[in-house]
Amino acid sequence: MMIKTQIQIINKLGLHARPSSKLAELCGQYSSNIWILKDDNKISAKNMMDILMLAVPHKSKITILAEGNDEKEATNQIKKLIKSRFGEEE
Amino acid sequence: MSTFNVHGISVSSGIAIGKANLVTNALMEVHYYKIKKDTIKDEIKRLSQAINTVKSDLVNIKKELQKKSSNNFESFIDIHLMMLEDNNFSLNPQQIIKKEQCNAEWAIKSQLDNLLSKFDDIDDAYIKERKLDAAQVAERIIKALLGHQKQISKTQNPSNILIAHDISPADALQFKKNSYAAFITEHGGTNSHTAILARGLNIPSIVAVKNARKIINNNDTVIVDGDNGIAIINPNKHILKEYEYKKNQWIIEKKKLKKIKNIPSKTLDKKEISLMANIEDLSDVKSVLDCKAAGIGLFRTEFLFMNRKQLPGEQEQYETYRSIAKSMKGRTVVIRTLDSGADKTTAADKTQATNPALGLRAIRLCLSQPHLFITQLRAILKASAFGKIRILIPMLSSLGELKQVKLLIKRAKESLVLEKIKFDNEILIGGMIEIPAVAINAEAFAAELDFLSIGTNDLIQYTLAIDRTDDSVSHLYNSIHPAILKLISNTIDAAKKFNKDVSVCGEMAGDPKLTKLFIGMGLTNFSMHPSSILTVKKQILESDATKLRSMSNKVLKQNDSEKIETLLNKINL
Repeated sequence: MMIKTQIQIINKLGLHARPSSKLAELCGQYSSNIWILKDDNKISAKNMMDILMLAVPHKSKITILAEGNDEKEATNQIKKLIKSRFGEEE
Repeated sequence: MSTFNVHGISVSSGIAIGKANLVTNALMEVHYYKIKKDTIKDEIKRLSQAINTVKSDLVNIKKELQKKSSNNFESFIDIHLMMLEDNNFSLNPQQIIKKEQCNAEWAIKSQLDNLLSKFDDIDDAYIKERKLDAAQVAERIIKALLGHQKQISKTQNPSNILIAHDISPADALQFKKNSYAAFITEHGGTNSHTAILARGLNIPSIVAVKNARKIINNNDTVIVDGDNGIAIINPNKHILKEYEYKKNQWIIEKKKLKKIKNIPSKTLDKKEISLMANIEDLSDVKSVLDCKAAGIGLFRTEFLFMNRKQLPGEQEQYETYRSIAKSMKGRTVVIRTLDSGADKTTAADKTQATNPALGLRAIRLCLSQPHLFITQLRAILKASAFGKIRILIPMLSSLGELKQVKLLIKRAKESLVLEKIKFDNEILIGGMIEIPAVAINAEAFAAELDFLSIGTNDLIQYTLAIDRTDDSVSHLYNSIHPAILKLISNTIDAAKKFNKDVSVCGEMAGDPKLTKLFIGMGLTNFSMHPSSILTVKKQILESDATKLRSMSNKVLKQNDSEKIETLLNKINL
């Protein structure tokens, strides 16, 4: 099994340094393999630098791929984090 | 050894004599060497150990920062920690070691080169800047690998002189323990981290000394003359003797100055002179209290707005203003509204003007984005319930603008009344006098404003048509140009006529050579960098306002800058 989810980045600054850190930190807690797909790039969501260098701006869509024992839980928590704007102001 | 001089930009005055202590740029020192196949494992282990060392260093720095509750440095250290744990630093270099059988330093350097070229392909300016963070992380790892002393060793001789490429915010924190007698850096300007740090520590420093680390060797004897922006390397006996004398004089002066801290700021003929401080953020308040300033005469709020993508909201601004007002315990705090644009840009500056100093900046920008202005006004008004706050408007050029400003202040007040939020309804509103048109017509503004504040830096720039940031015309920048002195005097007279407070708050206010002239012009309020307050106070204690009046009049009648200089020397005798 593998879960594929498309999600929009809604925090104003996009995936800059702090959100990238938070996302990588969250994904690091799961045993599943987790990737982010954007345009032609596929990177591991557990690497903060790789996420940062995707340079994902506000309002763009990314695809999350999760595969492993805890893929469901991981996907849910990732969605939650992105929807919470990474705790930034609106 | 031959004696030679190097020149740079003086950012903090004073004299220091000591041994050069070069802080190396580790990245440039990395050499490649091949390792044996059977030592690959050891090399990888060496790398992991270095990364762990850096990690624990950063965690320690972070802890120390938390104790001091400093600005935003903490989150920047978190980012470095995340980068360290990232595969790009923790895993990829290990693979490079395996594949290329190279040393760990080289592996980190190659990996950094890979990362930097990726960062260069990114369009987003903010993310692009993070490549500096990646470089700093790589440099820390390499230093740990090379077994370098950490940036600062605590046991080093405090009379040493630091020679570095530049000082980063993380280093700056450790320097606060006052472990060097002076700084010389290759990089930086008047407002670089190095400069701000040096002034805060009150030690002489010179920046922008090109190739300093190439021409100065470790343990060279160095004289730093912070007053003139010169460093003398390997001075001969005579020069050394001369500077030792100068240095002692400087130290004696500094000690003497501390003694006048608690003496009231009055002239010989008992005229009270108010000495206030200019600040840029909350952390400056300590030095204001230390030098016993009468209050804060200029809080430059744009520093709250700089270096960030998202502007501070009402709550964040309110909390900062309130903390400052509270810690000043009833003493005046003049808050200048956002003076963004020209050399200080923030995310509020949406356009790039062809001539930013004359473009949409300061109050013009605020009036063009009323929501931004109202947010700040509400935050200031809310904080005014907690201390003696005044509002200062920068860059006014016409009474029409002032009318709009007053209308917006009224609206901000009304919105707070509706929300039943307390504020000082009688809050005083002042204007910066920094555009010649306003200084010429000062009476009209004195009539409409509660107080005036003369911003000499911009007044000079606009009156003499000299771009402050352009080196090629900086020799024409002349604060004692007769026209400048006339405009200042005219503004002081106008304020007196309408019985309004007037202060000088630009660099000229902190120049002790001008203190007596200003007192002669009838000025009773000065606002300056906290480190200048005691030097200026010393001048005040020696002044006789009545006698100075006639001497100032003589200066004002003079149209030749050189003759003005001679007269000033006479006044200061």
